[in-house]
Amino acid sequence: MKRIIAISFALFMLLNLIGCAKDDNSSIKIGVLLPLTGAMAKFGEMEKNSFELARIEINAAGGVKGRDLVFVYEDDTGKPDVGRMGMEKLITVDKVPMITGGYSSSVTFAAAQVAQKYRVPFLVNTGSVDKITEPESFDLKISDADKFYIYRLNPPVSEYASGLEGFLKNLASVETAIIFHENTTFGTNGAKAFAISCERLGIEVFEIDSYTEGTVDFKPLLLKVKEQKPDLVYMISYVMDAALLMKQSKELRLSPKLFVGAGAGYTMPAYRENAGIASEKTISATLWHQSLPVPGATDYYNAYIAKYDDKSPPDYHGVEAYAAAYVVKDAIERAQDFKSASIKTALDGTDMMTAFGPVKFIAYDAKINQNKMETYVVQWINGNLELIWPKHLAKVEAVYPIDWNAEWK
Amino acid sequence: MKKYLLLEKREWIILGGAALAPWIFGFSPYFQGLLILVLMWVVLGNSWNLLAGYTGQVSFGHAAFFGIGAYAAAIPYHHFKISPWWGLLTGGLAAVILGYFLGKLVFRLRGPYFALGTLASGEILRLLFGEEEWLTNGHNGILYMTTFISKIPYYYLILFIAMGSLVAVKVIMKSKLGFYFLSIREDQEAAEALGIDTTKYKNIALAISSFFAGLAGAFYMIYMGFVDPEVVFALHNISILTILVGIIGGVGTIWGPAVGALIMVFIQELFRSSFFGVGPQWVSQLHSLVFGALVVVMILYLAGGVVGDWDIIRKKFGKKRVEGQG
Amino acid sequence: METFVQTLVSGILIGGLYAIIGIGMTLIMGVLNIINLAHGQILMLSMYITWVLWTYFGIDPYIAIFITIPIVFFIAEGISKFLLHPLMGKDSILPENQVLMTVGIGMVLVELARVIFSSDYKSVQTSYTNKSWYLGTISFNTPLTIAFIISIIMTVGLFLFLTKTDTGRSVRATAQDKSAAALMGISTGKITVLTYGLGSALDAAAGSLLLPIYYLYPDVGPLFTVKAFVITILGGLGSTVGAIFGGLILGLAETFGATYISMGYRDAIGLIIFLLVLVFFPGGLKRFTKV
Repeated sequence: MKRIIAISFALFMLLNLIGCAKDDNSSIKIGVLLPLTGAMAKFGEMEKNSFELARIEINAAGGVKGRDLVFVYEDDTGKPDVGRMGMEKLITVDKVPMITGGYSSSVTFAAAQVAQKYRVPFLVNTGSVDKITEPESFDLKISDADKFYIYRLNPPVSEYASGLEGFLKNLASVETAIIFHENTTFGTNGAKAFAISCERLGIEVFEIDSYTEGTVDFKPLLLKVKEQKPDLVYMISYVMDAALLMKQSKELRLSPKLFVGAGAGYTMPAYRENAGIASEKTISATLWHQSLPVPGATDYYNAYIAKYDDKSPPDYHGVEAYAAAYVVKDAIERAQDFKSASIKTALDGTDMMTAFGPVKFIAYDAKINQNKMETYVVQWINGNLELIWPKHLAKVEAVYPIDWNAEWK
Repeated sequence: MKKYLLLEKREWIILGGAALAPWIFGFSPYFQGLLILVLMWVVLGNSWNLLAGYTGQVSFGHAAFFGIGAYAAAIPYHHFKISPWWGLLTGGLAAVILGYFLGKLVFRLRGPYFALGTLASGEILRLLFGEEEWLTNGHNGILYMTTFISKIPYYYLILFIAMGSLVAVKVIMKSKLGFYFLSIREDQEAAEALGIDTTKYKNIALAISSFFAGLAGAFYMIYMGFVDPEVVFALHNISILTILVGIIGGVGTIWGPAVGALIMVFIQELFRSSFFGVGPQWVSQLHSLVFGALVVVMILYLAGGVVGDWDIIRKKFGKKRVEGQG
Repeated sequence: METFVQTLVSGILIGGLYAIIGIGMTLIMGVLNIINLAHGQILMLSMYITWVLWTYFGIDPYIAIFITIPIVFFIAEGISKFLLHPLMGKDSILPENQVLMTVGIGMVLVELARVIFSSDYKSVQTSYTNKSWYLGTISFNTPLTIAFIISIIMTVGLFLFLTKTDTGRSVRATAQDKSAAALMGISTGKITVLTYGLGSALDAAAGSLLLPIYYLYPDVGPLFTVKAFVITILGGLGSTVGAIFGGLILGLAETFGATYISMGYRDAIGLIIFLLVLVFFPGGLKRFTKV
C-alpha cells in the first residue's frame, strides 16, 4: 500500500515537473477564467469564442512584442470555490503573469481575492457586482491604487440601469414597478440598484421578490403582477429563468406597460430561442449594441457571425471579452517586461479605444481601477435585438405603448 | 504491537511522512493544496465514520455540521470583523449545539428514515442560510482576505486536526464508549435490553462527530476565505462525498476515511487535470465519472472498502501474507 | 380571489406531475425498501432520450413516452438485476449499501450525460410549449394540463395492474411483507427486480411529460429526487393512492407557500412538511387510505 502511494506520488511529481518545464520564449500565456460548463456555459462559450477571435486577429497581425498570444482557459463551472481553485492553478501551475475573464459576480469576486493575494493583475470583463473594484472589500484603502490588482472593463451593476433611467424619464406614464431577481450576488445587488433608480425617477416600487435559479413554476411570483398591476416589471435573471418567466407571463396574460430585463439573460440569443414569441417587445438594459458608432463594433459583430454561428449573434458579453483581449495586448506591449508588476503599471496607464468603447481605468466614489461608461437600452423587435436608447444613436423607434394581446397572439 | 503515545509505530511513520510531504515534490503550492484538501476530507470522513461506521447512524446530512462550522467562523467576521481564526474554537461548538437539536428530531428515526431525515435537515439549512441575508449575507457569501499566502501554516493546522480526529476515534473505539457505539450498530434492541441508554450514546457519538465536522468547516473558511451556502451546505459535494470517502476507504475502520480521502482527491484530480497535463484534454471530463464508477464497483465487490477488505485485495493480487488492519 | 383560484390551479397541475414522479419512487421504496437516490437521474435520462428523439428524429415528446418507457424499463431492469439485487443477500456493515449504490449509479448517469451532451441547457420548442387555455380569467398551461391527464390515466392503469393482476398482487404482497410473500410462493427476487423497472418506467413517463414544460441539463435530477421522497413519505411507503395525494399536497403547499409566504422558501416548504410527517406522523396518508 505504502509502496503504491510512494510510486504514485513520485510519478505525480515527475509529471508535474514536465508540466512546469515547458517555458519558451515564443509565446506569452494569459489566463482566462470563464464558466465553460454548467448553468452559465452559454455566456462562457460566447466569451471564449470572442477571446479566440481576438487572439487569432492579434497573432495574425504579429502577436505581442513578437510573441504569440496564448489564452489558457480555466473552467470555473459557475461556482465560486471552483473559480478560486482555477485562479490559483493559473497563477501557481501555469504561471501566467495576468488573468482576464470573470463572468458571474460571485465567482469573479471570490476569485479576485486570489489574484489580489498573489499580486497578479486581474482584468474583469463581465463580473459586475460593485464591490469587485472597491478596495475596501479587500482590506485596502482608496489610496492604495498601487497595491490594488483588480481592474474592470465593464461598468458595475449599479450603473447598468443608467441608460434605462434616461429612457424611463421620457415615459411619464410609468409610475409603479415590481422587481424580481434571482437570489444571487448579481441579482440582489442589481435589484437594490434599480430600486434606487426608481426612487430617483419617482417610480413607486411595490415589491422586490427573489427566486431560486432553476425554478419550475414562476406563477406564484407573477401573480403578484396580476394583483398589484404595476406599470413596469423589472427582472434580473440568467437565460433559462428569463425565458420561463416570460413564457409564464404570457400564459397568465399579464399586461404591465413594460417588461424590462437587466441585461444578462435578456439580451442573449438563447433567450429569444427559448421564450419564442413571449420575448417579443421585451426591453433590456445593455452595455453595448453592434450599431453603436464605436470603431470596430460592427466589424466584430460580423466577424463573429461569420466565424461561428449566424443563428446566435453576440451580445454585449461577447464584445466585453473581445475588448478585454485587446486591452491585455495593449498593456503587455507597453509593459517593460512580462512580469505581473510591470503589466500592472501598464494597465494603470491604459487609455484606448476598443470595439466595446473607450477604456480607461479611473478612481471614483469608492472604486478604483474602474472603467466608466454609458449604458444603453435595447428591445426585441420582430425577433431582432434593436438599440432604442439613447435616442440620437438609435436607428429604430422604440415600440411603446405595447399591446401584449396582439404581440402574443 | 508496541505503542508510543497512543499510536503504533507504523502510524508514527505515516504521521512523519505526512509532516514532510509538503516539502518534497518541489514545494509546489498546487500539490500542497491537494494535500490540504485530502486532510480536510480525512477530518470529515472520520467524523462521519464515527457516527455511521461505528454507531450505525448513517447520516446523509453532514454538510449541516460542516456548513454551520464554516458560518460560525464567517458570521462574526462579517458583522464585527472578528477574525475567522476564532472559528477554530466556535466552529466545533456551534456544530455540537446544532447536533444536539437535530439529534432530538432525527434520532426518533431508524435506518433509511434516519438517512432521509438528516438529508432533509441539511437541505433546509442550505435554503435557510441562503435566504436569511441579514444574518448570513445570503448568496453573496462572506469573503475574507486569508492570512497567509503560503500554504504551509494551513497544511500543519489541518494535519493537526486530522491527526486529532484519528486519535480521538481510535481512543474512543478502544474505550467502553466504543463498545456501546458498536452494540448500537449491531443491534439496537439488544443493546437496550442490556440496559444501554442508546439515545444517550447516540447523542454522544453525534456530538463528537459534529464537533469534527464543524471544525473542518471552520478550517475551510479560514483556508479558502470564502463561504456561500451552496458550497458549504452542498448535498452532493459535501454530504454525499463524505459518505463516499468513508465507503471507499472502509466503513468502521480507523484508517478507512484517510485512505478514502486520498483516493477520492487524487483520482478526481488525476482525471480533472488530464493526467497532470500530459493526457488529452477530453480526459478531464471524466473525473467524476471515473469516481462514480469506482463507487459502484467498490460497493459491488469490496463493500468493506480498501482498508476493510484489504485482505481480499491482497489475495487477489497474489500476496500470501495476511495481516490484520491497523 | 382570482389569485387564490389561479394558485390553486397551478398547484394542482404541478402536483399531478409530482405525483407521477412520486408513484415510481413509492413503489421502489415500498418493495425494495431502499431510498432510490438515483430517481431524479433516471428522470434526467428519460428527458435526454425524449430530447434526442425530438431534436434528431422529430418525434413529439408525448409520442416519445412510448419509446422512453421501454428503454428506461430495460435499463432499470439491468441496474436492478446486476447492481442492486446482488447486494441484497450480501453481508455488510451498513444496511444502507443499496442506497449508496443508487448514489453511485446516479453519479455515473449524470457524468455520462455530461460527457455526451455537455452541461448546456437543452429544451424542446414544440407547437404547444407556449400554449395555454383559459377558463374565464384563469389560465391552464397546455403541456401541464396534458401531463396532468396522462398522469391520471397512468395512475389508474397502475392501480388496476396492482389490484387486478397476479403480478400486481404479488408486488403489493411483497411490499407489505416480504417473508410472508415468499412463503406464499411469490418469487420476491423477481418481483423486486421488476418493481425497480416499473417504478423507473413511471419516472421515464414523467421525464417525457416534463421536458416541454421545463428544460434539461445533467444536474436536473436531484431537485426531483427530493420531491419524490417527500411525496413518498407524505403518502406512505408503497401506497399509490397516497402518492397521488402526496403529490397534490406538495404541489399545493409549495405554490401557496410561494404565493403567500415567500418564493425563496418554495423548496424548503416541502422539506419541512416532510420532516414533520416523518417524525410526528410516520406512515403518512397511508394511515387513512390503507392502499
